Order: sequence, then C-alpha cells, then structure tokens
Amino acid sequence: MATQETYNYTVVRQFAIMTIIWGIVGMAVGVLIAAQMAWPVLNFDLPWLSFGRLRPLHTNAVIFAFGGSALFASSYYVVQRTCHVRLISDKLAAFTFWGWQLVILSAAITLPLGISTAKEYAELEWPIDILITVVWVAYAIVFFGTIIKRKISHIYVANWFFGAFIVMIAILHIFNSAALPVSALKSYSVYAGAQDAMVQWWYGHNAVGFFLTAGFLGIMYYFVPKQANRPVYSYRLSVVHFWALAFTYIWAGPHHLHYTALPDWTQSLGMVFSLVLLAPSWGGMINGIMTLSGAWQKLRSDPVLRFLIVSISFYGMSTFEGPMMSIKTVNALSHYTDWTIGHVHSGALGWVALISMGTMYFLIPRLFGRKLYSIKLVEVHFWIATIGIVLYITSMWVSGVMQGLMWRAINADGTLTYSFVESVQAMHPFYIVRFAGGGLFFVGMLVMAYNVWRTIEGAKAVEDAIPLPAH
Amino acid sequence: MVFRHIWGLLTHPEKEWKAIRKENCGIGRCYCTHVLILAAIPPVSGFIGTTRIGWQIGGGEVVKLTTQSAGTISILYYLAILVGIFSVGKMIHWMAQTYGAKVSLPLCIGLAAYTATPLLLIGLMGLYPVLWLNFIIALPALAYTVYLLYTGVPVMMGVSKEKGFLFASAVLAVGMVMLVALLAATVILWGAGIAPVFTS
Repeated sequence: MATQETYNYTVVRQFAIMTIIWGIVGMAVGVLIAAQMAWPVLNFDLPWLSFGRLRPLHTNAVIFAFGGSALFASSYYVVQRTCHVRLISDKLAAFTFWGWQLVILSAAITLPLGISTAKEYAELEWPIDILITVVWVAYAIVFFGTIIKRKISHIYVANWFFGAFIVMIAILHIFNSAALPVSALKSYSVYAGAQDAMVQWWYGHNAVGFFLTAGFLGIMYYFVPKQANRPVYSYRLSVVHFWALAFTYIWAGPHHLHYTALPDWTQSLGMVFSLVLLAPSWGGMINGIMTLSGAWQKLRSDPVLRFLIVSISFYGMSTFEGPMMSIKTVNALSHYTDWTIGHVHSGALGWVALISMGTMYFLIPRLFGRKLYSIKLVEVHFWIATIGIVLYITSMWVSGVMQGLMWRAINADGTLTYSFVESVQAMHPFYIVRFAGGGLFFVGMLVMAYNVWRTIEGAKAVEDAIPLPAH
Repeated sequence: MVFRHIWGLLTHPEKEWKAIRKENCGIGRCYCTHVLILAAIPPVSGFIGTTRIGWQIGGGEVVKLTTQSAGTISILYYLAILVGIFSVGKMIHWMAQTYGAKVSLPLCIGLAAYTATPLLLIGLMGLYPVLWLNFIIALPALAYTVYLLYTGVPVMMGVSKEKGFLFASAVLAVGMVMLVALLAATVILWGAGIAPVFTS
C-alpha cells in the first residue's frame, strides 16, 4: 500500500506555540500600561515606555499576534480536518507563518519608536501594511485553495466563518490603510476629515466583527462540538446567523462616532444596526451553549470544557452590552470612559482569550502526541483567569459610570462641578483593581505556558494520516 | 423565623440549601417576607447615606442629594431589585427543563432570592457612600453570591453537580445580562431627566 498522505501539522504547531508566546508578551504589556494608569511614575520619563506608544503595542500584540496566531493555527487545522486534504502548499503556508511573525516583529519595533499612522487598530505604517496584504493574500490562497481541493463535498460551517473572516479582513485592511506615503516611514490617509473617521470605524468595528467574532465563531463551531463530543445543536441556526451576522456587522461602525462631525442620520443608522446585531450574535451564543449543555457528564473530568462554556457566556454578555452602549443616550455617558474599556475586555478576555486558550488545550496534545502535563493546572488557570476578568470588568463598570457622571455634572450656574484631574484622582482605586485583575489573567497565561512547556518537552511531532474516503 | 436561613447560608450553605428545599414554601408565605424586607436594606441605607451623610470626591465639598430626589431614586431602586429577583427566578424556571429539572416556580424564585442574600445585606454600606470603599466591600460579597449560586442550583433544582454547574453558569449569564440592562436603563432614565438632584 502506498504511503498515506498526512495533514500539514507543522504550520499549525508553529502558530499554536506562537499563540502562547505572543499571549504572554501582549498581556505583559497590557499589565504594564494598566500599572501606568494607576501609577504614572512607571513611565520612567522614557518616550518609548509611555502609555501612548505602548497602548497600540498592547492592542496589536493581543489582537493580531495572539488572536491572529490562534486563528491561523485553528483555521489551518480545521480546514484540513474537515476537508480531508493537506493544505495546498506547505511552502505558502510556511510563508504565511514567517511573514506574519515578521509583521508582528516590525510592529514591536516601530510602535515604541512612535512610528504610527494614528489610526486605531491600524497603526502600522505603509511598508508593514503592504507586507500584511501580501501575507493575507497568501493566507487566502492557502485556505480557499484547500477548500477547492477538498474530498468532502460539504463545506462545514466553521469554514464559512473562517472564510468570511479572511475575505472581510482583506477588504477592510486595504480600504482603511489606503495612504499616500511621504517618506519610508510616514504616510497620510487618502481620506480626509469625517470621511477618514467613518472609514476608520467601519474598519475598526469590523475588525471586531470579523477578526474577533467571525473568526472565533469558526473556532467555536469546530472545537466546541469536538470537545463536547456532540453534534452542533442546530446546523440551520448556524447558517442563518452566519448570513445575518455578515450583513449586519458591516453597518454598525458609526456607533463609535456618536455626537461627532459625522452626519446625524449615519449615527442613527449605526445605532439601529448595532441593536439588530444582538439577534445574530445571540444565535451563535445559543448554538454554542446548547451544544455544550448536552455534554454535562464530561464536565467533572474536563476543565477545557469550562473554558469554552464561560467564553460563550461572556460572548453573550458582551454582545448584549455592545448594543446597549450603542444607544445614543447611553453612549452620551459611556463614550470616552472606562466603561468602553471594560466592555472591550469582557469580549477580549472573556470571549476571545478564553476560547483561544480552550482551543490550544485541545490542539497541543493532539499536535504533539502527548497528554496534557497537568489537568489540575488547567483548572487553576481557569479560575485565575475568570477571577481576573471579573475584577477587570466590574472595576471598569464602576469607574466608567463614575467618570461619565463626573464629566457631565454641572453646577447651578452652568460651570463644571469637577475638573478633569478630579475625575482622574477618583479613578485611582479602580485602576489598582483593574491592574490586579489584568495581573491575574496574565499569571494564568504563565501557568498555561508552563503546562504546555512540560507537555511538549521532548515530544515528537505528530503526523496524522488523512482518512481514506469511506466508500 | 423569616431570617433563620440567612445565618445558615453564610456559614454552611450546602446544608442550608437542603433545608430550604425541604420546606418547599409558597411564594407568599416565605419568600415574600424574606425578599420584601431584605430588598429594602440597600435603598433605605442608600437613602440615609445620600441625604444625611453624603460623600466627597477628590477632597472637594461634601455632596448630598435632596430628600425628594433620593426618595424617588430609592423607591425605583427597591422596585428594580424586586423585579430583578422575580425575573431571575422566572428565567431559572424557564431554563429548568433544558437541564432536566422538574421544579415549581416558587422554588426557582426562592433560589434567586436566597442567592441574592449577601448582595442585599451589604446594601448596608450605602449608609457610608464612598464609592471605592463600597466597591472593595462589594467584591467579596459578589464572590460569595456566585458561590451560593453554584452550591444552590444542584440542591434546589435536584440535578447532578455537573448539570448544576452548567445551569448555574447559564443563570450567571442571565444575571450579568440583567445587570447590564439595568445599567443601560438607568443611564437612559438619567438622560431623560430623572437625574438625582444635589443639595447645594
């Protein structure tokens, strides 16, 4: 019998390991800047250690390096396993890995140096943007090429979500990053004024919608049924909420620009679509929760399932909070306050990070042919991370609402009741709690790294054979 | 009589949950008195705290609310707590079937009511309304509430611990969503002009 073809696990392994490494780096920077908010002296008067430069480094590292690596790893794994074929090109896949690492490294160098386009979540300057585009096109070729070559005629729904994520991120990146370079390291956006802001938040919100939601829903639709060892609760629901999500998200961006120079009707439109978005978001949540609910017997022995359950709960909570905050009246209070930061982190820590961690705990043993070194440590990680998130979110709720109220408080004669610095002073205790919460979450990540290290130490790479078609 | 479960829930929750389930009390007889009285602690303390004692922000003047404004807010607050507990109970009842529990609505409301006990008790801190201090005190109470929920669900709903974990997580998610909804509703009401009036 001829040697059987195997899956390309090399690239999946590489991205899985980098997910954990970049997670540590990104969260460490996050904890540092959280500490700077509480104790500004930690800036050490060094420009490259200042909050303004480290904040984009933190967001880029956790979203694109940590989250991105998790998405690459899981999408490459899922597309091969569900299509029963090897990735179409090992070389191109390797190129996406090294290219993506190069992008991250360039970000880690340029951002602290203050080289930035000043567009949120798209701070990287034009040469790096071109590199991103090239890597992303290669990614699309590998992913869709593999789907075209598939041996299973049905395209599993997880691949729909991954596919939408890849296509939309390409479109968003190219349109939003369109710029006129004036030198090797400086460019100006081709859009001006309110249009620029509009394009920026069309991009910004859909980075959330397609990078941090659609992509991770792809992860959910494969790894939740796998870990629970049960079929998806409703396949019909998954397809319906896929299309609803894809059509609705794209309109919601203007809620980032309430009460700005953006035309009022666009703001209202953004708000309405944000409210509608609740339905497709919860479609995904219900599907995930109901799939897991049948696997209750496994809970005692399987802390990985807990990561998945809690991540879906946080997904439900933050996708409810988002539409609430897009209501103009609420936004008038919440905008520019820590409430927004809390909301982002209930999504980022609660949903994206927890489901990525659960997925890595699923993948690592299978990629290295070893059992996890310690199930107990997974459980420890789960509790540390969950407590960390709760501290983070609650402190930001309280401080955010307090900030909003202090900023809008006026005396009978129309003067402001509080100066800005008074509101900053009032935030101090909550910033300490936030630092503690973020610190716990980071410690959890270190526990995970240790556990993974002990698991793969000296392990041999696994080469899984592709199952022969069952005729 | 009404409060005898409180001490038990604080010291040996699992045993106490069993006792509560055994009673199988009606809404009117047990839970109403328990909830109506305990739920009054936060608004009444808040009323006294904000009108008589007041608070300072960043070493500025002492801020207080007018009696009328604090009165309106306290009543709304009281109603919100009652509606909140009842709705969570209703949601528990609605979800019970999914998790294979056959229970009556009063039992579900009882679960919601007794779970909220620590949070209602620390409402007392409203007497001294310093936000950051209140927040630090509220955190352990919140943690204990979550703990009560996870121990209470399997006992009260008569399901296994594993199912109970899932069920309790679902209840927690419902609770968080309601909290956020309450927050948003407050802000909207505030924006609509029902804002607190400060004494000057």
